[in-house]
Amino acid sequence: MNKDLVSTIADLNEQEALKIVKDRLSAGEDPLKIMEDARKGLEIVGERFASSEYFIPDLVYSGEIMKLITELVKPQLTREEETRKSGKIVFGTVRGDIHDIGKNIVTFMLDVNGFEVIDLGVDVPEQKFVDKIKESGASIVGLSGFLTLAFDSMKQTIRAIEDAGLRDSVKVMIGGGQISEEIRKYTGADAYGKDAMAGVTLAKKWTGVN
Amino acid sequence: MSEFTINFEPLGLRGKCKNNESLLECARRSGVGINSICGGTGACHACRVQVLSGTVSRPSTVEYKVFTSKELKEGWRLACQTYPISDCKITVPADSMTTSQRLQVEGLEKKVSPELPFQVYHVKIAPPSLETPVADADRLIQALNNQHRLRCTSVDIDTLRDIPGQLRSWNWESQVVVRNKEVVTILYQKSRQLGLAIDLGTTKIAAYLIDMNSGQTLAARGIMNPQINYGEDIISRINKVIKSSEAAVVMQRLTLDAINELSADLCAAAGARPEEILETVVVGNTAMHHLFLRLPVKQLAFSPFVPAVSLALEVRARDLGLNIAPGAYVYLMPNIAGFVGADHVSMLLATDAWKAKETTIALDIGTNTEVSLIYGGKITTTSCASGPAFEGGHIKHGMRAAAGAIERLRIDGDKVQYQTINGGPPVGICGSGILDALAQLYQANIIDNSGRIIDSHPRVRVHKGQREFVLVSEEERNGKPAITITQHDVRELQLAKAAIRTGIQILLDISLCSEDDIKQVIIAGAFGSYINIDSAVAIGMMPSLPLNRFQQVGNAAGMGARLALISTRSRAKAQAIASRVKYVELASSPEFNKVFVQANYLGPYQITNK
Ligand code: B12
Ligand code: FES
Repeated sequence: MNKDLVSTIADLNEQEALKIVKDRLSAGEDPLKIMEDARKGLEIVGERFASSEYFIPDLVYSGEIMKLITELVKPQLTREEETRKSGKIVFGTVRGDIHDIGKNIVTFMLDVNGFEVIDLGVDVPEQKFVDKIKESGASIVGLSGFLTLAFDSMKQTIRAIEDAGLRDSVKVMIGGGQISEEIRKYTGADAYGKDAMAGVTLAKKWTGVN
Repeated sequence: MSEFTINFEPLGLRGKCKNNESLLECARRSGVGINSICGGTGACHACRVQVLSGTVSRPSTVEYKVFTSKELKEGWRLACQTYPISDCKITVPADSMTTSQRLQVEGLEKKVSPELPFQVYHVKIAPPSLETPVADADRLIQALNNQHRLRCTSVDIDTLRDIPGQLRSWNWESQVVVRNKEVVTILYQKSRQLGLAIDLGTTKIAAYLIDMNSGQTLAARGIMNPQINYGEDIISRINKVIKSSEAAVVMQRLTLDAINELSADLCAAAGARPEEILETVVVGNTAMHHLFLRLPVKQLAFSPFVPAVSLALEVRARDLGLNIAPGAYVYLMPNIAGFVGADHVSMLLATDAWKAKETTIALDIGTNTEVSLIYGGKITTTSCASGPAFEGGHIKHGMRAAAGAIERLRIDGDKVQYQTINGGPPVGICGSGILDALAQLYQANIIDNSGRIIDSHPRVRVHKGQREFVLVSEEERNGKPAITITQHDVRELQLAKAAIRTGIQILLDISLCSEDDIKQVIIAGAFGSYINIDSAVAIGMMPSLPLNRFQQVGNAAGMGARLALISTRSRAKAQAIASRVKYVELASSPEFNKVFVQANYLGPYQITNK
């Protein structure tokens, strides 16, 4: 039965998934367990996206299903349970670049995987990253960019973090369109991720969560 | 400082490689065309070469990923990642060469009556004598006044240098070309009056040699834009300029050399000389326009993407280094915005789309697709980042429209029927073929509307963990690797198709227009004129309209340039169009992401799909 929710979400079967959630709630099941299954389902969605089997509309749709499920489950969750997050991540599309579709997918997957994402949006100036890292005490920074020009903005953002004396307290990952290992080296980031699931894997590794 | 000699095979070209210069940079300077889609950052893997002899730097991390250890042993490398440390011999495989491709120059033909930007007067002057030792140029200006009631106030300096010799050898008789009260050139009395119209594209340059008096095209030719070695898209090229100001100088030089060469070829074909070209018109996108004039480009690439100038310009050809008549001018059509340039103005002008009474969509599909909606007397325009997928970029077996490319395709049961450019054996698939493939796969239910390849067809297989559809199998290619459309290719195409459809949709939405209101769709540009409209409609890249509402007009920008060349009235219209257009920045549209997600589905665009 538990597996059912995982696979119905993975197969993007909205009606069925909502029905299972309602049934399980009325059977008095632990809401956290339901959320955990839903998360596992989305993880499969993420994997299928990474292997090209699913695409942007599928992801958006999975997000909608997740939203509906959360709405059903939320009233049953205590405040504390709801906010149990495994790490803070400051995320944004770097200066000069406004592409956010890829970034939104990564932040969504990070969010469903239990990370608290502080999304700064697009065309984010270096200083804003620095300020937010200070303010939130985040330990991970995610930089997204799709333009060739974004490589330099990434480099400058990482330098600004360094100049603010924060480089040792955060891990920086980068990603987006043409990012590669060479570009990671160029920008001085700690790692790059090819897709959203790679970002989740990195965040888990860095925070020691499995 | 050491310098090495690099031998590029099979071209047999030799180049000098400076210390710390990559093979790609050396190839560029030596005139060897190596693909570099990413502009040399190691991201595109398009610059594969094989080192046959000599010592080079050790492979970089990317190269370890891209090549097997066997390939590395055989000397396979990425040119942009490889730095010679001795003299070397390199093979550039056909795949990595910027191939000569089908270059479109033809398009719709339109006529206007000439209203030239200059006037030509036949003048005969008296030889000087001891009694009237008046200067040659002064007598010429007097003669213009006496014989044609024309008060000229100046003479171009280069023309001035020619006047004494020419007047004497022509026996004091000549044609005088006057532009804004300045004598710009004098011509032999029997000389023709020619003009040159240039469509300066990111990938291609099309040139037309025109008889200024009849408007007739005497010769036309297209070549690759040699700037392509500095990156295939404009952002990559702009990036090069941001990194080194020298790149701006080199890129301008490359374009000019190419245009000079083109005009020499065209003149040779028409039995004319470049000095008989009295005026040139250049249209291009804003980045090409700026790079051509060596205007700053950095601000073009960053939000809010403003051009250095949008107004039409007239620049002395000599100041740019263009070899045409001394004193002659280059007219540059106005731009609209950072990503919508003079080439779009030119196409709106040539197709008359700008004054269409019925609701019209006019678009030019390319790496950057510009779209205009003409509705209720208003023109709204946007630019969509469609990317290079339809030019074969980022597609596993994609290629430009060159010999051997599959350009048409049909899936018939278990069989795939196709047609290649020049009819030879297939080597890859170009834009129009890729579009057909996507439409055929979708219509045969081999991919569903979300773009997923369904495992239901004998030609679908899994290769390296990815589904793909085999267009031409290994057996059909006698053992060479199969030509396929992979799941990843389909995704790239969806992005490109969605970008274009979103551009159209956002324009419709802000004008409160619906798809059915569109009475005509004008598709310009090389790719647009070879595509099957059926296929474009089937996948939803184009609005679902009856096919008779679509017109494929070929190189309309080139036509607009020709009109502006001979007609000052057309130039005035161009300026009016550029000022009337309301530019819409997709990036700032709050609806963008929603529409874009929706437009990623295959099939007709719908507001809700699931
Ligand atoms: C959609 C799009 C747009 C939309 C953006 C809408 C939006 N809100 O995001 C609009 C139309 C507004 C736009 C505008 C522009 N664009 Co645009 N755009 C695209 C397009 C078609 C798709 C990009 C995309 O969203 N892909 C979908 C995502 C899901 O792809 P993905 O890479 O798989 O995403 C994953 C990874 O990247 C990773 N990831 C992403 N970020 C991060 C971060 C971290 C930390 C990690 C770990 C992982 C990670 O996870 C994602 C999910 O798995 C591409 C072309 C293409 N086919 O790629 C051009 C493209 C990126 N754009 C381009 C250009 C030039 C522009 C413009 C400058 C020009 C124009 N024509 O308008 C403008 C200006 C924008 C600016 N200053 O930033 C060029 C860039 C060329 C270059 N060399 O830099 C491209 C490549 C097209 C092209 N060749 O011309 N664009
Ligand atoms: S990898 Fe793109 S140019 Fe070398």
